[in-house]
Amino acid sequence: MPFFMLIFRNLLRQRIRTLLTALGISLGITTVVALGVVTHSLKATAEDILHAGGADFAIGQSGSADLSFSTLTEEQLEDVAAYPEVNHAIGVLMAFSSLGSNPYFVQLGIEPSDLEHFDVPLLEGRYLARGATDEMLLGEEGASQLDKNLGDTVELKDRTFTVVGIYRTGNVWEDGGAILPLATVQEYERKGGLMTLIYVKAKVGTDLDALTARIEEDHPELATLRTLSDYNEVDQGMQMMDAANLAISFLAVFIGGIGVMNTMVMSVMERTREFGILRAVGWRQRRVLQMVLGESVLLCLIGALIGSILAVVFTRAILIFPAVRSFLEPEYTPDVFIRGLVVGVAVALLGALYPAIRAVRLSPIQAIRYE
Amino acid sequence: MNRDRIAIDVQEVVKTYEEGRIRALSGATLQVREGEFVAITGPSGCGKSTLLHLIAALDRPDSGRIVVDGMDLAEVRDLSTYRSHRVGLVFQLHNLLPTLSASANVQIPMYEAELSLWERRAKAQRLLEAVGLGDRANTPPIKLSGGERQRVAIARALANDPPILLADEPTGNLDSKAGEMVLDLLRTIQQKRGVTLVLVSHDAQIASAAERVVRMLDGRVVDEGLSGHPAG
Repeated sequence: MPFFMLIFRNLLRQRIRTLLTALGISLGITTVVALGVVTHSLKATAEDILHAGGADFAIGQSGSADLSFSTLTEEQLEDVAAYPEVNHAIGVLMAFSSLGSNPYFVQLGIEPSDLEHFDVPLLEGRYLARGATDEMLLGEEGASQLDKNLGDTVELKDRTFTVVGIYRTGNVWEDGGAILPLATVQEYERKGGLMTLIYVKAKVGTDLDALTARIEEDHPELATLRTLSDYNEVDQGMQMMDAANLAISFLAVFIGGIGVMNTMVMSVMERTREFGILRAVGWRQRRVLQMVLGESVLLCLIGALIGSILAVVFTRAILIFPAVRSFLEPEYTPDVFIRGLVVGVAVALLGALYPAIRAVRLSPIQAIRYE
Repeated sequence: MNRDRIAIDVQEVVKTYEEGRIRALSGATLQVREGEFVAITGPSGCGKSTLLHLIAALDRPDSGRIVVDGMDLAEVRDLSTYRSHRVGLVFQLHNLLPTLSASANVQIPMYEAELSLWERRAKAQRLLEAVGLGDRANTPPIKLSGGERQRVAIARALANDPPILLADEPTGNLDSKAGEMVLDLLRTIQQKRGVTLVLVSHDAQIASAAERVVRMLDGRVVDEGLSGHPAG
């Protein structure tokens, strides 16, 4: 019998205990993997936001705690547009409000004339007409949630908008919301002349690093956003999410480790005599150690497998909520599952360390006499 | 096998427990020749099992020397290799792992030998056939009789072909018929394989199956004599 099978058979001795321990571990792994999937997906969405409309980069207000609090002026937009390397600078005002079943319906206020330069792939209909105040482009997911089609009207902020186009960008955040005339959004948000972000499309061949550095040097109140780390500078949410993710992972390791330790201590104590026999027939301490740690690692790997499956089920299940669907498109990348696996192995080693040391330190003769 | 060579040399061994309050061995001395079948007998608590455990290197003596095949056990650093390759142990209780088959139990000591999975399986099968259980290789201990379990334990003790077999009351838990079978098997193995066999038993009749009977009392060897069974 291969040594691995011997380890596996040992776990089958107390099947219920093994199953319950694996389930306990799996809950921790579910938390770690599900949080990882959500965090990763939100980061991917955030990165997409920085390049919405095919922009090379976005500009926000430096030092703002949250991207939605960023406030930029028309003068700043003109300053950015004046750089010779800038092809187009498009100001966007973001607004959020409850609409239908979605409590965070995203509205992007854009000057209709800028839509020629802001890539919004239309599935049907047309762009906003210049000078229009009551027209709306609706994202595909938003249209689906609101059950609206081209030509339908949408009640928003005590106004009635006509859906003149339906688009799909591939970004859940944009596709779950709507694009409206900038002036209209500024009016109902009472932010006349203000914007949240400036999207910049540079001329072909422009050194983006040099351009963004110059903009920030010339305008310290502006933060250029090309990458996720740039995003973190104007939005603390991601950092908080990362910190929470790490804290919960540690908690999962700790709680899981206690559970595994409990199981392994019981298992080692029940088999004290058996360890004495194994040592008496010539097993080295190292092999006993390998067996105990192997049982624990296998137990946790089973927990990690169950936990990973549960995490996928959970992250798919939460999509039934429109609010979640409008900003989250789960991405299942290998690194998230590898993290779950690493946490599982860490739990196994942490939990089995004391029982394993106890098992190898047993004197063969005392262990054999153990009742 | 060299019958003149000393396989086990126990010299003035003292072993106490509970900080000296219990004196299990009080200067026990014993010599066993290579290929010899020696029975150690005596009343309960006389130290015979303790002596066997010390020869098996399951414990260390307080004083005195134990030399096995020329190796002073006090100087052996790797006792695991000694236990797995130099001596085979048979306990009063079979001490088989309940979740494993007879074959898997026999293979347990072989994990410390340089054998492949297939070699382990084949060797376990050969050993089980040698103890008359070739057809029970896949049977778990719970489905074996007491005598069969002890025969599996004997096969396990022979797993790494040790030159010395140590049996601690191997028939103590068996009925007389099964006990006789186990004893016959041990004797056959000793004769066919030429192993040195040291058997501990409180039963004088069982002990009489040996070539030489050693009697212990109060932690000492007090009497040695030849039994009616000459060397094979």
